[in-house]
Amino acid sequence: MNTQNQILQVDGLTKTYGKGGNRTEALKGITFTVLEGEFLGIMGASGSGKTTLLNCIATMLRPTSGKIVLQGRDISGFRGSALADYRGKEIGYLFQDFELLDNLTARENITLPLALHGVTAEKAEADMEALAAMLDIAGTLDKFPSQLSGGQKQRVAAARALIGNPSIVLADEPTGALDSKNSKILMDKLSAINRGQGKTIMMVTHDAGAASYCSRILFIQDGGIFHELRRNMQTETTAMFYERIVAVMAQLGGGSANVL
Amino acid sequence: MFFKQVQRNAAKNRKGNGLFFSSLIIAIVAFYTLLSLGDQDVMRYLATVESDAVAKLMALLPVVYAVSLFFVFFLVYFACKYQTDSRRRELGMYLMLGMKRSRMFLMLFCETLWSSVISLLIGLPAALFLTEGISLATAKVVGLGIIGHHFSLSLQAIFWTVCGYVFVQLLSMLVICVGLSRMAPADLLCSGDVKKQKLLSGGKSTALFALGACCLLAAYYLGIFRMRGLDLMTLLVLVIFGILGTFLLYRGLGGMLGGRIRRRNAKAVGLSVFTARQVQENVLSQHKSLAVSSLLLLMALSCISYGISMVTGRSTSSRSVDFSLFGEEEQIDAALEKDGVREMVKETYPLYLSSVKDGYFRDEEKAFDTGEMEKALGAIEGSENIIENLHIEYVIAESSYNRILKNVGKEELKLSAHEAAIYTSIGNDGDFGSILSKATGSKISIGIDGISYDIRPTLYMDNVVADRAITIYMALIVPDELFLQLAGEPKAYCRNVSLSDTVVEDMGLMQAVQKTDALLADTGIEYDSYLGGIGRNLFYTVAASYLSIYLGVLFWLIANTVIGLKYLIGQRRTKRRYETLTMLGADAQSMCHSVKKQIGTYFFLVLCTALVSSAAAIFTMFTSFTKLPAGVSVQTVALLSAVALVIFAGIEMLYIGIVKRTAVREICRIEITDRR
Repeated sequence: MNTQNQILQVDGLTKTYGKGGNRTEALKGITFTVLEGEFLGIMGASGSGKTTLLNCIATMLRPTSGKIVLQGRDISGFRGSALADYRGKEIGYLFQDFELLDNLTARENITLPLALHGVTAEKAEADMEALAAMLDIAGTLDKFPSQLSGGQKQRVAAARALIGNPSIVLADEPTGALDSKNSKILMDKLSAINRGQGKTIMMVTHDAGAASYCSRILFIQDGGIFHELRRNMQTETTAMFYERIVAVMAQLGGGSANVL
Repeated sequence: MFFKQVQRNAAKNRKGNGLFFSSLIIAIVAFYTLLSLGDQDVMRYLATVESDAVAKLMALLPVVYAVSLFFVFFLVYFACKYQTDSRRRELGMYLMLGMKRSRMFLMLFCETLWSSVISLLIGLPAALFLTEGISLATAKVVGLGIIGHHFSLSLQAIFWTVCGYVFVQLLSMLVICVGLSRMAPADLLCSGDVKKQKLLSGGKSTALFALGACCLLAAYYLGIFRMRGLDLMTLLVLVIFGILGTFLLYRGLGGMLGGRIRRRNAKAVGLSVFTARQVQENVLSQHKSLAVSSLLLLMALSCISYGISMVTGRSTSSRSVDFSLFGEEEQIDAALEKDGVREMVKETYPLYLSSVKDGYFRDEEKAFDTGEMEKALGAIEGSENIIENLHIEYVIAESSYNRILKNVGKEELKLSAHEAAIYTSIGNDGDFGSILSKATGSKISIGIDGISYDIRPTLYMDNVVADRAITIYMALIVPDELFLQLAGEPKAYCRNVSLSDTVVEDMGLMQAVQKTDALLADTGIEYDSYLGGIGRNLFYTVAASYLSIYLGVLFWLIANTVIGLKYLIGQRRTKRRYETLTMLGADAQSMCHSVKKQIGTYFFLVLCTALVSSAAAIFTMFTSFTKLPAGVSVQTVALLSAVALVIFAGIEMLYIGIVKRTAVREICRIEITDRR
């Protein structure tokens, strides 16, 4: 796993909502980098700006100032088809509430990002089968979302985020709508993909348990980076890392009150 | 404060849903147009000459009004549902902020009332304008002249339009409010639930689709091959098969589409799978609406076709004689000398028309030697029936007919001693006129008492008397000397009267004839008038065509509104899907393309069944229980139907275009930043 290449650089990122007296600074000049193959967690209290940060990287929000550079390209200048290409090819997005199109089968949902960029399901068949096997959803591919459990839905969504082989997977509270059993299954799968394939993942979460799978965690408070935790992948187990995360969360001021 | 909010919300609804606000206005126009029928110039006149028939028609109007109300209810219901559906979050918020349900419903009712007032303020003047236009146009089309037109404002029609419209608006809102009252604030706050697809197995869908198609084919077969006359039992079976078939067809269609998508999706790129799945979902969840819309369109097309054929059938030719007076010379002279009558009259002339003297009959039926004519007719296709019935029993004096020609501005005959011309008053009936015209055009002659008379190539068809109900199958226009020789009754048949051009110009033809009619009625003389003669025809034109076209347009409007609104409501409910697509890298252009394709396919699915069914229905209608009117040739109706179909397609395209624009506008509004 090559951890030396910087895949994402966020430099002096600010985001302000409202005008005049109603201005709210959600991000106050955040700067950090993400290395290739990293599993980065973003944690913080509600309203700290973590989702705003993720949405800026995902181009769902336009930053007020600052730069976001992915694979050497500044994404803030993207418009039209360049923006659509970025969304479909460079990033994979995993939503809290899955966002599967409920009138498409699991198979059609997974191959949709490829179809949008001119790749037929026929060509992607091998990749899809491999992903489906890895995420344990091979038996559900011809079912509609309404016929799947929450955990299966999120794994289908994960397959959809990964099928285009994006540079980075952005996950917004991916375990937020899952029970603990399904959360664990999903995190095990994501972690395996991160380790096995070197896929870079950036995940926003409230859940210390989910965060304990990460290799590094940025804690955000009031729009700025408050603290950073790194996990020693060789010596530290997820349980041990979990303890450290909980301790930092307590220090953040709200303690467990911030953990929903 | 409360009223301001009501006004603001109502204005927002109107702006956001212009298309459906326009539909409501059209509904108002339709109501007023129907209800004010009795006050239109033509109907007012008809009430004086055909009072019984008009009274029957007027008695029928409340029934048509009730039927219209029933159908307009659906139009209004869907328009209101579309509006409230787009405000679910807002309504949920009101409840969460502590607004009582009763107050929220009161607010919705007040908004509905306010919107009703605004639409009535726009719709009623538009309706007045339209009815005046129809009144003027009808008067012009039937040759009544337009100068005598009176502006008519029917207060009763306005009253019932307002009552009916407000009633359906409030009833629709009541039904919607009952639905809303069962919903918790959380249900309202979520953007609207997408109904879970009711999945049918592929086999079951195919079976239903096939069964539906079989039922429809059975209905077509019954209509085309088995319906003879108005056989109620066959008709009932046909209708049941037709309705059942349409419903089953759409029930099975969703599953069929699913199978097709599955077979094709391995090679699909872009949003094609998504587009197809969206259409499939709409068909699965809206199969009943699709079937109802398709049946409404079928009814619309059938009604409009029937109406068009009636209009064609009753169209009238130019006016040649205003009055025909019968009686002794002195009596007629006395009547014409009467005060008031003299000023109205331009000229009078005797009409010499008589049956042929018995002595000239060669056999029981035929007076003249028509061998050449029969030969000429024999060469023309479809003339068998005419040859079989060919007989000329009447003769008309050339001088009399020249006066008629002069009155309609045509050139006089100027027959030489051995020339004659053929006259018929039923030349516009079917193909009779065209066949006869072809025969006379081929240089033929007729033998009278051993002498051959050349027949003029032109067939003459201008009415010889005022009453169009008096028909002459065929007569020979001959020089006056010959007339005296042939006529059984050499006396004048009647005295024809033409009204003064200045009077007609000043009063309008309708008033001029009515006034003269009143003056002549006092004299006790026997007479026919131009208007009296066409009254019956005119009545049928108005009654049959007007009402059927009215209902047709109404059904058409409702069918389109149901399809359009059902689609747009569905799109609004699935807005989040488009947001997800944007996140997955779909650009606005491809989503707009997908939406347009979905709408096009959705309308196509309804239209194609409706078009095939209506082709069968119209064929059945005109070949079995409703014959084409006597005056209509198949070609004319086919041509008019083609024109109507082009207009139908044009307006349909326009409507689909408007729905597409509305849908695309919604898509372009999607910003994924909305997710915050």
